[in-house]
Amino acid sequence: MMHIIKKNKFLLLLGIVALLLPLFVHSKFHLNTLILLLLFATIAGAWNILGGYGGQLSLGHTIFFGLGAYTSSLLYLNYGTSPWIGLIAAAAISIAAGIFIGWPTFRLKGPYFTLATIAFAEVIRLLCLYWRDLTKGSMGINIRFEPGLSNLIFREYSSYYYFALVLFLISLAIVYWVDRTRVGYYLKAIREDEDSAETLGINVTKYKMIAMVISAGLTGVAGVLYAQFMLFFEPESVFNLNFSIEIALIAIVGGMGTVYGPLLGAAIIVPLNEILRSSFPALSGMNYFIYGIVLVLIVSFMPNGLMPVLKRIPKKFKSRKKVQVSGSRKKTAS
Amino acid sequence: MTLLQTLISGLLLGGIYSLISMGLNLILGVVRIINFAHGELLMIAMYISFLFYSTMGLDPYVSAILVIACLFLLGIITQRFLIQPILDTPASTKIFATLGLSIALQNLALMTLSADHFSVRTSYQSDVINIGELAISIPRLIAFIVAISVAVLLYLFLKKTMTGKAIRAVAMQRQAAYLMGVNVKKIYLLAFGIGSALVGLAGAMLMPIYSVYPTLGTTFVLIAFVVVVLGGMGSMFGAFFGGLIIGLVEALSGVLLDTGLKEAVYFAIFILVLLFRPSGIFSLGKGAEEVGLK
Repeated sequence: MMHIIKKNKFLLLLGIVALLLPLFVHSKFHLNTLILLLLFATIAGAWNILGGYGGQLSLGHTIFFGLGAYTSSLLYLNYGTSPWIGLIAAAAISIAAGIFIGWPTFRLKGPYFTLATIAFAEVIRLLCLYWRDLTKGSMGINIRFEPGLSNLIFREYSSYYYFALVLFLISLAIVYWVDRTRVGYYLKAIREDEDSAETLGINVTKYKMIAMVISAGLTGVAGVLYAQFMLFFEPESVFNLNFSIEIALIAIVGGMGTVYGPLLGAAIIVPLNEILRSSFPALSGMNYFIYGIVLVLIVSFMPNGLMPVLKRIPKKFKSRKKVQVSGSRKKTAS
Repeated sequence: MTLLQTLISGLLLGGIYSLISMGLNLILGVVRIINFAHGELLMIAMYISFLFYSTMGLDPYVSAILVIACLFLLGIITQRFLIQPILDTPASTKIFATLGLSIALQNLALMTLSADHFSVRTSYQSDVINIGELAISIPRLIAFIVAISVAVLLYLFLKKTMTGKAIRAVAMQRQAAYLMGVNVKKIYLLAFGIGSALVGLAGAMLMPIYSVYPTLGTTFVLIAFVVVVLGGMGSMFGAFFGGLIIGLVEALSGVLLDTGLKEAVYFAIFILVLLFRPSGIFSLGKGAEEVGLK
């Protein structure tokens, strides 16, 4: 752990700022934005494991998110189960759904996998709307505001902030682990060329499934936080296709298959979204219009996202310094 | 009798789905791109049709030719400036480029035209042909007949004309077609243009039946994907019959199960087809990656 921190003073600084932020930020709007930022960074990070590293571009991640939210909330409302236990149940249900969906669809390649995940998400959304006895259909789920640590409902936004921060750090640690171990390398190999990866002896389905399980579980847990924070949700809000796209968009903007890409993407997209929403309340659709344009531009001109661009900046800076010190070594400096 | 009525309604609905899906299928088969913005092209076509109606009083059937021309141009522009630059990038890039276009267009419509529903009023709109107890809506019947004609004409165009053959050659083997002197880029432009023109025609035929609103595309594009996958990607008749099947399934499950479940039923069928026969029920059993025109 120490070597990571030493290597990256910037991240350490960022971590300290993140820890102390609620001491300085009191406005509900800003804290709300920060909580959503961390929540989206977590979900996009989870998506990134399957989509960014593994190249399995799911547009059905709302399944896990929504199942997580519904699982813990229904347990809480119907049986009084604490959402802390709900977290585990949500992760379990989401992972089960991930395996159920992954097992048959991992055979499909490229866009066909994406289409299948959309179809699964639509089926679940429609079933959720239909099965009113269990889910209350389009009425949605209303959780009564009863603050308490055991209920995972807080009066202060800063408590939610710390909860979201812990969740995000856990997800970051998991992504970091994936990135640095065999799992990440195998997944990247699968992304680059599935057939070659298989020829080299990688159990393609197994590693896709590992990515799916981690990804689904994390997303499900994030769904619980969302439910406890919003205290109201309905099928159209948690199983929405646009929401699935938003998750992928954040990872793509930041940089697919990078550890910090989703955080960077969320740090750009979430505040942008909140600012647009509050500045142009009359122009509904403005935020999504800009999403669409950003998506087209990023995909066309920066298919690897912003993270690789950002990484190059300090290097350029360093190399420029070197050039200044010794003008004769210009060529090596590049 | 009600069952027969349901079947006929389903078939007519299926005709509309076929009409929308054939354009998507052509683009998928030739340019090999999953065009998520297809639904938005339909939405735009219907708005244009409505515009001709509200400003010049043109009947949607009359202005159809103008709508087709507009959409053909729009398709060419999309292909030239959005798709062509990213043709050689991984599948993920292409998916998200058209997805981005879809979101942008949909929300541009929402911003500029509001979420209101617009519809045209024509004298024949609610006319029906009565055969015994059966009632057949005239605009839906017209859409159905147009769908059949399009399927046949498209088939003849692809089989008999030089351009059609070139399109099929590119769909089968881009490299080989290029070596045989086919201008691949031009064929892509043409295929995207025709695919969009077809959805323009679909939009014109739909205007007397449905009202238009910004998110209309999402519903139809998902159905079109279901139809295309069911019928077999690249197969024109597959798309036609796939549309009819989905129309029937929708109508029947609405009656037999519950109207709230009819969409879930065809998505379930979609998943089953993807899993067990990804090349579609009308194709010759090639792998899902093998999309060519038949």
